[in-house]
Amino acid sequence: MQKQSTGYLFILPALMVLGMLIAYPVAYTGLLSVTDNAGNFVGLENFRRVLAARATPIAFWNTLWWVLGSIIFQVLFGVMAAILLNQNFRGRAIVRSVTLVPWVVPGIVAATTWAWMLHTEFGIINYMLTAPGLIDKPIGWLTNGNTVMPVMIAINIWKMFPFVAIMVLAGLQSIPNDLYEAARIDGASFWEEVWYVMLPQVRSVIVAITLLLVIWALNHITIIYAITRGGPANKTLITPIQIFRTAFDGMQFGQAAALSVMFFGVAIVIVFIYIRTLASNPEEAR
Amino acid sequence: MKTMTIKLAMAATASFLAMSASAWAGQVVWWTPNFNEARARQLVETFQAANPGVTVKLETTTTDGLPQRILTALQSGAAPDVIDVQHAWVNGYAQNKLVVPLDEAVTEREDYIPAALQYNTWNGKLWGAPYRIETHAIIINRGDFKAVGLDPDKPPQTWEAFADAAKKLTVNGKSGFAITGGGEVGNTIFRSLPFMWMLGGGIISDDGKKVLVDSPESEKAVTFYTDFFKNHLSPSSTLENDGTANRRLFIAEKVSMYQSGQFDIQSIRKENPKIDIGVIPVPHPEGAKTAVILGGWSLVVPSSAKNPDEAKKLVAFLSKSENQAILTDTFPARISAMNAERFNDPILKVFKDMLPFGRPVPAHPNWVQISQAYFDGIQRILLGDESVKDAMDGAASEIEGLL
Repeated sequence: MQKQSTGYLFILPALMVLGMLIAYPVAYTGLLSVTDNAGNFVGLENFRRVLAARATPIAFWNTLWWVLGSIIFQVLFGVMAAILLNQNFRGRAIVRSVTLVPWVVPGIVAATTWAWMLHTEFGIINYMLTAPGLIDKPIGWLTNGNTVMPVMIAINIWKMFPFVAIMVLAGLQSIPNDLYEAARIDGASFWEEVWYVMLPQVRSVIVAITLLLVIWALNHITIIYAITRGGPANKTLITPIQIFRTAFDGMQFGQAAALSVMFFGVAIVIVFIYIRTLASNPEEAR
Repeated sequence: MKTMTIKLAMAATASFLAMSASAWAGQVVWWTPNFNEARARQLVETFQAANPGVTVKLETTTTDGLPQRILTALQSGAAPDVIDVQHAWVNGYAQNKLVVPLDEAVTEREDYIPAALQYNTWNGKLWGAPYRIETHAIIINRGDFKAVGLDPDKPPQTWEAFADAAKKLTVNGKSGFAITGGGEVGNTIFRSLPFMWMLGGGIISDDGKKVLVDSPESEKAVTFYTDFFKNHLSPSSTLENDGTANRRLFIAEKVSMYQSGQFDIQSIRKENPKIDIGVIPVPHPEGAKTAVILGGWSLVVPSSAKNPDEAKKLVAFLSKSENQAILTDTFPARISAMNAERFNDPILKVFKDMLPFGRPVPAHPNWVQISQAYFDGIQRILLGDESVKDAMDGAASEIEGLL
């Protein structure tokens, strides 16, 4: 008993710092969500108003597409790149470093550069497509309702897949050579090696990274906000951007907090389900 | 989301500590946008020479993200003593008691353009000291006019004539008239709302009690505005273009006419001296007067200012006619200051002529969201998702909930 309370004393400073930086903002957001700008208690009025807003359901579906689209391809391309970078070839060190570039570039720089490259009139992408006659007239990548969200997702994939690649590569390199040798003695082809040796060995890494990617995609703002600000006509509005706009453009801190609270709830549920089904099963994760 | 909130809070705290912790008695911290820096520094020196006990610490801001930054500073209680803000923001600050009245600092009110004072007035008091005003006009490429047989000295005056001219100018891959449909909401409000006013419409009524955006007059004006894109007279990139993008297209000689303020003239001259720039008034409907939004900047003193008395002294100094003539990037808010030599450049004449038609945007606490709802409607029209009527009806029902 004595020992235990001494232990608490030791972690108290750390707990206090954590409390100030995490518990206080979370609690304060909860308080904001039931008060108006003057600080009066308004019950669930903020929730009612924010749910009635036309943009809210649009943002919800956009967020779903954004997260699913981003995650699937980030993991797919990341793992493919990792397997490739794990092979022996000349200049491997250089290729490995170059692969990291998108991840190292600051988000806002990457986003602004992409916005210019994709511009209908000045963009190099349209120039490269129209100059050799691949297309007749420039495509409005960011102004066409059907292309703008896929383009945003593509940029996000480009930005994040190197991170997946490097993490998975680290996992691949920890696989003992014996396993490959055993597989080869059994006559396994390259694809069978990938399927039966590499993937099962890095499964736990992929599971952990996917969780991180889900969380990052859910609270993402930079790329979309810098390029389209959620437009045109809310076609790329995702919930975090709606929260940001409501709070800092519209000065409606209560409604923004209400939306945050609901979003936090949804995010928690998703993460919980994910951990329960995939990550916490030690038998599976090995 | 939580991590974002925390990060924001931490970043904000850090920047306030860095920016305002160093204020001491007798020191006035003044936030001014970077485009004002040189002129502001000159005025600060004159002020300090006349007021030996007071020092002014000038800190420059950038316009991108400025409203958010100022708002966080005001709400955190660690604000500077004087801030340069746009007219339209002042009312929101006043209603939330974030700034103090400046009635004693701003004198000789009869010398001011009335709309500038109107912006800064709430509850019978003056909450900001207007020092800079401006409006839009239409900037044209006179060479393009001549090339298609139009006379740039007899520009189109009515909507009909203007649309015709835009059509004639749309040749050889050039666009006749560029409208905005992207970027910050304000870009499109500034360019389209005046057309509604000309017909007696608007987004909301001046008293903020009625939605006007779905009125036949407003819909007619929105049709006039969006048709430039639908009829391919505005560039295909319209939905991603703000005022700056339109200026770039004009400089690249891809666009023959666009709406903007006088601040664009200098950069066009610098970047493409070949263009023969002209300025014409904003066209009006047959038999109606033209209209523009009066924009500009005011000085406010936050409620949490550390040295409010000295701050007011500085505001009073900057509000003097001769000092307004120096500080403003466009036109001064005082009529007498307009006599200064620098406002006599002939290219500024049309911009000056537009000033009397300038009107303030409605002051409503939810104006940002109201204008966002309207802007979303405009984008739905430009995307081809909805007709003008459906889009404006949709915007109206959204705005109804915000009044």
